[in-house]
Amino acid sequence: MNSSLLNRLLRNWLTLRRPVSRLQAIGLGVACILLCLTGWWLITQGAAESRLVGPLTLPSPAETFSRFSELWNDFALTRNVLVTLRRVSIGFALALMVGIPIGVTAGCFPRVHAFLSPLIMIGRNVPLAAVLPLMIFIFGAGEKNKVMFIFVASVAFVTSDAARAIMDVSARYIDTAYTLGASRWQTISKVLVPLAAPTIFSACRQMFGLAFGYIMLAESIKIADEVGGLGYQIQIFQRRGFREHIYLIILVIPLVALVIDQLLAWIQRQLFPHLYGGDGMLRSLVRVTLIPWESLKSLVFYRTPASLPSVSTEERPK
Amino acid sequence: MSQPPAQVIGMGTVLDHVRTPQEVALPHVVEFRNVTKTYNAGKADEFTAIRDVTFVVEDVVGKGEFICVLGPSGCGKSTILRSIAGLEPQHPATSGEVLVLGQPVVGPGSDRGMVFQDYTSFDHLTVLENVTFGLECLHMPRKQRDELGREWIHKMGLNVGTDAHKYPHELSGGMRQRVAIARTLILKPRIILMDEPFGALDPLTRLNMQDLLVKLWKEVQATVFFITHSIEEAVFLGDRVYLMSNSPGTILEELKIEPATCSANEMQRQPKFLEAVYYIRDKITKLESNK
Ligand SMILES: Nc1ncnc2c1ncn2[C@@H]1O[C@H](COP(=O)(O)OP(=O)(O)OP(=O)(O)O)[C@@H](O)[C@H]1O
Ligand SMILES: [Mg+2]
Repeated sequence: MNSSLLNRLLRNWLTLRRPVSRLQAIGLGVACILLCLTGWWLITQGAAESRLVGPLTLPSPAETFSRFSELWNDFALTRNVLVTLRRVSIGFALALMVGIPIGVTAGCFPRVHAFLSPLIMIGRNVPLAAVLPLMIFIFGAGEKNKVMFIFVASVAFVTSDAARAIMDVSARYIDTAYTLGASRWQTISKVLVPLAAPTIFSACRQMFGLAFGYIMLAESIKIADEVGGLGYQIQIFQRRGFREHIYLIILVIPLVALVIDQLLAWIQRQLFPHLYGGDGMLRSLVRVTLIPWESLKSLVFYRTPASLPSVSTEERPK
Repeated sequence: MSQPPAQVIGMGTVLDHVRTPQEVALPHVVEFRNVTKTYNAGKADEFTAIRDVTFVVEDVVGKGEFICVLGPSGCGKSTILRSIAGLEPQHPATSGEVLVLGQPVVGPGSDRGMVFQDYTSFDHLTVLENVTFGLECLHMPRKQRDELGREWIHKMGLNVGTDAHKYPHELSGGMRQRVAIARTLILKPRIILMDEPFGALDPLTRLNMQDLLVKLWKEVQATVFFITHSIEEAVFLGDRVYLMSNSPGTILEELKIEPATCSANEMQRQPKFLEAVYYIRDKITKLESNK
């Protein structure tokens, strides 16, 4: 009796790829965090001398979290987070604006791809540690060098991912579009790009996470007094020996990343309802904003062709 | 010629030879003049799929003909169809001429609509958007094309209220092919090319789709090229059946078929229907065993 219950429980838990409910998933995540916190507390408890891990290496949870208000008020945590976010966002947006059109073109036209592939190759393998000083030579000490650093670090990846996504769209969709009378431009804009878009979006979402890591590197180099940002703060705390603050920032960064990622996931769901279900709010929004443009084109280009029937008068479903 | 004279077999008449463009008086919808297609020509893996294919489809006044193409697997049926559509890599032919309405085929276009075997609905578009895709490409105003689209969704036996805003992945295979047929027919193409469109459907759905296709075809009056592996399907649907040889394919025989008088299900029990089917089946079995 008891063993059969255990059996059932085990079978239930160990079934391959069985989906878990949202509540259970969150519960398991929280359990992991609690476990880690307990471990942290265990190895850092007691008086400073008797600890398993000394306070200079790892302060206790209580010591660390007690510094939070200081970090928040005296060291302007929110402002620094926003400064960092702004840099990544601008740099990454630039990379998208340049990388996606070029990548899509390369994906559509193999000759363009062949022409650009050396650049993409170099861009993907460029040593970032060497790029950083270069950016400072070129763009000076201000904001620009950090933004451009993010741009340079990600643009080649965005380009090659966009090209790959376009090339991976099955040729049968192109054949279908052509036999339905789509022009080359219409095939690109109405078929290839929309079908590749979810893949491109996923790739960029992941890359944004990486870019968030790169910016710390760029911010940790101080040339003038301006700087600010999380990376710069870590640098200061390191010099002053504020371990607790550093640990706090290390904990804050994943939280910020999580919030951003959830936001991007929401956008993704709303843009591509055919993949993620839901009502596709953003997709409808995009289509609605295109209506005036479409109507204008209808006005300019549409001629009722002789071969196409107007709607027949036979009874129609309502 | 050593070939036997024309021979009546049930519903079918086997012509003594495959007609050539020179001997047909009516205007030609499609003609092949000694068309050969060699894939990867000049490379180590070059392969001749069709050799010296010649045939003509005439423009029967007031209604197009329904042409079915039968033949062993790999004999080049799809190659012929995609050459008419002007799709790469089948187009251009290695040698010979492919003419549609007297003009050489230069590329794909909506005058030759195509329905593929595998589902090619655009996954990111709803049923209504899929059906009206071609009209959108013509820049037809949204209201007008949505109205036409709903009409065709209804004609295809789909439910306008519940199905029009579904995405393709929410549809069954049969429903997807209905969408694929609707978006082709809505453009009223002169020629409709169908490459085993019902190949993946269950037998009953298949019969229903055949009846539906016959009904709609009468309405749009297009010339249909229909590839199938089902001999029953070919004899039921076809006005004319082309029988192809083993690879490299040529057209072996041309059969003229009496028009069907009742639904697919009833037709397929009649002796004269079965006689024609058995004749073709024996031919194809022989071809398959001679491979
Ligand atoms: N793109 C291609 N490159 C090289 N060979 C090809 C290509 N397409 C088809 N072939 C070859 O040409 C031959 C004919 O192909 P095709 O697809 O026209 O046959 P089919 O009659 O439609 O066969 P099935 O009934 O199985 O669909 C096959 O042997 C195939 O291997
Ligand atoms: Mg085929």
